[in-house]
Amino acid sequence: MSHRPRSQDSAAWRSAAIAAALVAVATGVGAALDHYVSSTSQAMLYLVAVVITAYACDRVTALVSAVAAVTAFNFFFVPPRYTLTVENHEHLIALAAMLGVALLVSGLSARVRAESQLAVDSERRAHQLSALATELLDATDEAAAVAAGERALRSAFERVVVVTRDAHGTLRPVDGLPPPVLQSLQCAMAEAAVIGPGTGRWPGIEAWVVPLGSRDHVIGVARIEPAPAADEIGREHATALASVLAQGLWRLRAAEAQVRAQAGLQRQELQSTFLAAVSHDLRTPLAAIVAAASSLQEQRERLTVAEQDQMLTRIAGQARFLSRITENTLQLVRLASGPFARREWQSIEEVVGSVIGRLRGQPGGERIAARVADALPLVRGDATLLAQLVTNLLDNACRYGKGPIELTASSTDDAVIVSVKDRGPGVRPEDEARLFEPFFSGEAKAPGHGAGLGLALCRAIAEAHGGSLRYARRREGGSCFTLALPLEAQPEAQPEATA
Amino acid sequence: MTLKVLVVEDDAEMRGLLRASLAAEGFAVTTAVSLSEATAILKHDPPDLVVLDLGLPDGDGAELVSTVRRQSALPIVVASARQDPIGKIALLDAGADDYLIKPFSIAELLARIRVALRHRGSALQPALKHFEGDGLRVDLEARVVERDGDPVHLTPTEFNLLARLLRGAGRIVTHRQLLADVWGTEHVEDTHYLRLYMGQLRAKLERAPSEPRFLRTEIGVGYRFAVE
Repeated sequence: MSHRPRSQDSAAWRSAAIAAALVAVATGVGAALDHYVSSTSQAMLYLVAVVITAYACDRVTALVSAVAAVTAFNFFFVPPRYTLTVENHEHLIALAAMLGVALLVSGLSARVRAESQLAVDSERRAHQLSALATELLDATDEAAAVAAGERALRSAFERVVVVTRDAHGTLRPVDGLPPPVLQSLQCAMAEAAVIGPGTGRWPGIEAWVVPLGSRDHVIGVARIEPAPAADEIGREHATALASVLAQGLWRLRAAEAQVRAQAGLQRQELQSTFLAAVSHDLRTPLAAIVAAASSLQEQRERLTVAEQDQMLTRIAGQARFLSRITENTLQLVRLASGPFARREWQSIEEVVGSVIGRLRGQPGGERIAARVADALPLVRGDATLLAQLVTNLLDNACRYGKGPIELTASSTDDAVIVSVKDRGPGVRPEDEARLFEPFFSGEAKAPGHGAGLGLALCRAIAEAHGGSLRYARRREGGSCFTLALPLEAQPEAQPEATA
Repeated sequence: MTLKVLVVEDDAEMRGLLRASLAAEGFAVTTAVSLSEATAILKHDPPDLVVLDLGLPDGDGAELVSTVRRQSALPIVVASARQDPIGKIALLDAGADDYLIKPFSIAELLARIRVALRHRGSALQPALKHFEGDGLRVDLEARVVERDGDPVHLTPTEFNLLARLLRGAGRIVTHRQLLADVWGTEHVEDTHYLRLYMGQLRAKLERAPSEPRFLRTEIGVGYRFAVE
């Protein structure tokens, strides 16, 4: 509060010094030229001093300078010299004219100065506003936006506090704010209007309290000091900065809400497809198990031995199917969570052989015919995963395909190829594109149903091995799945001699 | 004489089911729900075979395998829901006789139990030296292998591999055990030897090498010479 009057004081002293110096210079020059010029010219010298003073300094100094100039002129150059007596009315007129000129010039220059100051101020404010707007555009989070707002307000005012209301409606940061200040903040937010000196609301407080945002959307509040009641322009500027900040904050919140909403929607979508898949893939076999088991409990005496066997077979088969779904789900999650570590040399003949051995005993397993080329090159990978891939393909063919299931394994120059063909209805053309998506299981009863995760896992395994898995419709009807695994330089075989 | 089987399983449903199924096959069944209970039974009333679950309330069943193996050749069949082949291999290498992954069928369990019992004390008894069945005849002492009456020529490595599998007939022999016994301990990581030589052996011995009758693959774990 004190440094401004002090600077005003020193400015006044400087003005007085300038005025005195100018009058002194005019006097000196007038005296030096005394023998060559008339007193009219000397008066002109004083006039120059007064005009310069009036232009450069404030009005009071200008008037004092005018009086001093006339007095000095009177004293030094108007006869009788070295007295303040005025002999001639002419000189009175000169004195009056000098005063008039001083007043006029001083008034004019004061107005010019005020106007140019106004222009500078308003340009600075406009700059502050646009700088804040730019910074807010770059701000990616609320803390950064608030910091930018505080910076902008601080460049215009001395003391600034910005407080925002978070998603739960809590104001922060409010630590260390005295209760009356807090009350004023809450009042400004509640009324969504500026309060403080000059606003007609809460004139007793020392600061302006400016809400961020308009009615219903007040995000926070800024407390600004100093707040002279008469500084309407300053108040307007504070309001403008606050509204730019509020817009920035609002934009960030809206974007955040949108992202949240989208993520929620995606999660919901995933959840619902997962639930649909689970409820379908798990409930169908569970229903069959419960039906068969309860039928055996209730009606065993009335069922033939063959019927009882059939039901027991169904229970065992469906339970095995559930177990496979579980295995597929776990494996898919495992594959999705990171690369697998076990990459060893594997024989496709062995993988295929062990899978077929396991599937032979299951319904449809007798239809599998395997043709594996002799001396097939080894591939590098995880045998458990490759076996699961082949199991899923064969299992699908057993369940949904018809006629013989042909498994062939062969090699080309750069790949080992395994294909599984059946004579079932195949995949509907409209379903082909989504066949390998997780949880996609086609229309109920359509081929592929119930294998929801199976094919997705197959493709994931193929890709984890750097290979590919493709589907093709067979010309005469049926499906053909083709797995291609990249061929690598084969390992050295142990020389027989050392054995 | 009735054979005694100890079932170590913490799930009541599973325990009851195994008890009933094994009793129906004529075994005298005792059950334990925890590692400590199993240890106590092993000490005071040693069974002829253990069916062991791995995740037990007071510890891992795997500890029991190594403890038992240090003292006796008691057959242990592990029955667990754990899929991971590495753990499976570790258990087999630690001395478990066989490993079944839940869910398994009772028929499978009974078959594994029969194999494990046949090998009871195999560390002491002479190993299987002859095999004859399904057109294959192997005489390890005479180093004769015949398929459908025709002699089959095997290289020394192929013969050693077959001999090692036949000695543990019916049981899984892990990759590591095979590599160490046939090629030497410095080759335990060279699983591709096995892939190559097993391929050659199958080509010579099996009617359909891609669907082997004898030389079965235990995916990710090892091989088994199937006798049944």
